[in-house]
Amino acid sequence: MTAGWRHTERPFPWRRSLWIAALLTPALVVMVLFVLWPLLSAFRLAFYEFSGLRPSGFIGLENFRQVLFEKPYSDWTYNAFKHNVIAFLALMVFENGTAFLIAFALLKALPGHRVHQVIVFMPVVLSAVIVGFLWKLFLHPLFGLVNQLLGLVGIAAIPWLGSENTALGSILFANIWHWLGFPTLVLLAGMQRISKDVLEAARLDGAGDYALMTKIVWPLIAPSVTIVTILTFIGSFNWFEIPYVMAGLTGSPGGSTDVLGLYFYRTAFGSTTTGIQDFGQGSALAVLMFIFVAGVTAIALRYLRRREIEQ
Amino acid sequence: MRDRGETIRNGAIQLVLAVNAVIMIYPLFVMVTSSFKTNAEIFSSPLSLPTHFSTANLEKVWTETNFVRYLANSVGITAASVALILLFSTLAGYAIARYRFRLSSLVLMFFLSGMTVPLKLAIIPLFIQLDTLGLVDSYLGLVLVYVAMGIPSAVFIMTGFLRTLPRELEESARMDGASEARIMWSIMLPLARPALVIVAIQNAVPIWNDFFFPLVLITSDNLKTLPQGLTVFVGELTTDWGVLFTGLTLAALPITLLYIVLSKQFISGITQGAVK
Amino acid sequence: MSRRRIGLALAAASFAWGFASSVAHATDISFWTWRQEDKAAYNELFGDFTKANPDIHVKFESFPDENYPTIVSTALAGSKGGDVIHTHAYGWLEQFVKAGYFEPLDMATVPSLANQPADALVSGTYRADKKVYSLPFASQTLGLFINKDVFAKAGLTPPTTWDEFITVSKALKEKGIYPLANGMGTSWFNEMFVAIFTNPFLGQDFVGDLTSGKTTFKDPRYVAALGKLLELRPYMPDGFEGIDYETAGQLFLSGKAAMLAGGSFDIATYRSQNPAINMDFVAPPMAKAGDTPQATKFFDGGYAVNSKSANKEAALKLVNWMGTKEFGDKFSALLGNISPIKGVVIKDELLSHVAKLNETAMPHINVVYFRFEKPTGSELLQGDITKMMSGSITPDQLAADLTDGLAKWYKPFQGK
Repeated sequence: MTAGWRHTERPFPWRRSLWIAALLTPALVVMVLFVLWPLLSAFRLAFYEFSGLRPSGFIGLENFRQVLFEKPYSDWTYNAFKHNVIAFLALMVFENGTAFLIAFALLKALPGHRVHQVIVFMPVVLSAVIVGFLWKLFLHPLFGLVNQLLGLVGIAAIPWLGSENTALGSILFANIWHWLGFPTLVLLAGMQRISKDVLEAARLDGAGDYALMTKIVWPLIAPSVTIVTILTFIGSFNWFEIPYVMAGLTGSPGGSTDVLGLYFYRTAFGSTTTGIQDFGQGSALAVLMFIFVAGVTAIALRYLRRREIEQ
Repeated sequence: MRDRGETIRNGAIQLVLAVNAVIMIYPLFVMVTSSFKTNAEIFSSPLSLPTHFSTANLEKVWTETNFVRYLANSVGITAASVALILLFSTLAGYAIARYRFRLSSLVLMFFLSGMTVPLKLAIIPLFIQLDTLGLVDSYLGLVLVYVAMGIPSAVFIMTGFLRTLPRELEESARMDGASEARIMWSIMLPLARPALVIVAIQNAVPIWNDFFFPLVLITSDNLKTLPQGLTVFVGELTTDWGVLFTGLTLAALPITLLYIVLSKQFISGITQGAVK
Repeated sequence: MSRRRIGLALAAASFAWGFASSVAHATDISFWTWRQEDKAAYNELFGDFTKANPDIHVKFESFPDENYPTIVSTALAGSKGGDVIHTHAYGWLEQFVKAGYFEPLDMATVPSLANQPADALVSGTYRADKKVYSLPFASQTLGLFINKDVFAKAGLTPPTTWDEFITVSKALKEKGIYPLANGMGTSWFNEMFVAIFTNPFLGQDFVGDLTSGKTTFKDPRYVAALGKLLELRPYMPDGFEGIDYETAGQLFLSGKAAMLAGGSFDIATYRSQNPAINMDFVAPPMAKAGDTPQATKFFDGGYAVNSKSANKEAALKLVNWMGTKEFGDKFSALLGNISPIKGVVIKDELLSHVAKLNETAMPHINVVYFRFEKPTGSELLQGDITKMMSGSITPDQLAADLTDGLAKWYKPFQGK
């Protein structure tokens, strides 16, 4: 650190170096011990075979080969991956689409808009475990609130979480209910940054609400859209809690709600009656997920940022 | 003419917001009212209000489960984690923001890269790491993991905020011969209070709500947090919906009340980072 | 001032705590299990143990079923965990033994092993070294619960053959009663559901052929038995795909459903939930009249000693005691589980019924033979069975997936 003297504005006493080091040490130690080291180890463990729960030998890329190319593991990997992709697309369209509409409605600042902001954000502060259990009870085929309400208008009971056709959609619905407030308020903040003059000018030129929304607001909130897209992507591929609570570790029924988070957990830790634990294969899955999410995020950020600059 | 159209449009907007509000609130309303009902009432008439105000479910949760203990654990773990995050990240952020030294940008980069790491995926080695330190199944182990997760973005926010503080204050204190520690503690940090509140809420909410790390790192029933305890609770009482709704209501209550009181801070804390 | 007072209070508290623990029992050991609902019974049993061994106290610690393997494996990997660990049997046990986490049990340390029948010991034996690592605790029987009052009110007799089952079910359905309470919402139980209804059609011969490598699950007998399951669908509750095992139990206990495919391990739970229930536990419907009644059985698991336990001697003492007739008698009486220990007397009428069924029962094929390596038969079957019941795949496809998946590690299936 002594070499740093030359770059500072004034002589830099050794006591100050010590002082700076003291300020940085606690945070750095925690990061190195509980983030850096475990993460590097996770990469290492992916190359080992495990006998029981301990590494028993280096096997190169074998774990990766199994989860990517060997049936039935590869089938399970792609099945789970497919559901993550579906979740991402569905959340982009339904969650963020609804959020955009509500944000636009809130932008008008009509009477009561503050209360509506507080309401739409309320579920966001709840634990996914609470939200998951709550909707699991509501979606129960016989006694659940949803089917009871539908029964009032003469619709027969639907096994929401039990049928392959509806289970993933039901879980996504619960997730949207949980998180809707987040993109809504992020997009609203983006909209509020658009200068009043721009909006006024457009209005004076005779632009209606629809034209205002599509021609002015949408292009000008590109930075917020970027952030929301990236966060939705990361969230979709690290999805774990709500599927775990609502559909269980195996992604029932029949793996129709299985996502990479569950599959990773199940592979690494097993479940009571199915599967044997495999820390090696589990680590390989974790590494692949990490590389995929980090890689796509980096590329997307580049691309989306460029769009912002062009605007 | 234009005013008429405006009224209709505004009416439509209010309608959209009202429908959305019902969808957001009604499930929570049913959760709360169901907690006063008996099981039979929930199954036979799930939509009606409770016929009488029964606290039997509440008593059962209070006396027959470990609920209160889970609640206390969550409070303690969240408070300790947030306190350490504030302390460590303020110190580090202060060093990066207020002093120029050679490795400064490298250190900041190191912290920033931590923001992108999903620590969940490193749970296997993390567990082994905590174990070598004798910290598995302890409050401290869980707290340290949360601190490690919270530090990157907290350092980012604190550095950014501390950089905006005027240099003049610091310089004049230095002229007066105040020590570096004194300048930091008495002059600069009191100014950073708004940022500290944001960081506190941004970290407190996910820590309070976290389920994954206690799931793996905590085994003793007496150390379990609320979301984790809730799964135990549901496992033991799967068929008693009245009690389940009561448990869910109680679990949701503290943070919801706090949110209603401090909604502005909550919203800006949680969306911090996504909103520039 | 106040900070100082807090400090004093803390010091006093820690002193008091230290004092309290110094007068605690000579040896405290812990017992880990996933059976949260059995807490009271185990505490009573451990009370008896402490009476005989005053220097040892046992603490019951239970964990949610679904997280139990995670918790145990992470704890054992870190040389922690309970002193005595409740384990599942067969393949589940093997991965822990392989990693050296459990202590082998022999006649010298655990003389009560002598009280166990040979087929029970197999469930706790590691195949590679032929040593016993887990003392078997219960022989579970899968069959059909009958709500006798519902049948009496409907004026019907419980079925014994498949044809009777269908006729009776039609009659029950007309009266507005769900014939069969089960749904497909709980994957671990779905596997048992399959075993219960297919075993009477498969028979002991099939098991012999399968385990000797003569046939695979692609066998027409297995495919036909799976086909029978599809015939059950009209007699299960509305939206059965989403009905979980707990809800099914409630439908049965409340009299909304007449029958429930279930396990003898739930008898005690059902009785405590509805003490007035007048129920019977019978063999599932036979393929044809005159067949041997064929319920399904398996050894659920056992008690193992953590090899890293600081109190190994006390732990072994406890496990040994859990293999005695004294323990077995009370265990069966309190929990309604059938202890495999020789000479255990079962007083309860319903349980003695179950014990009788157990004598002619078939093994739970997947649990006993196909859980040793990845992918397990259980995960393959559990993944496919809901799809088959909802009609998106055929029994043929399920049989093929199961066979091909197992062929990864089960040599006799390879190339077939």
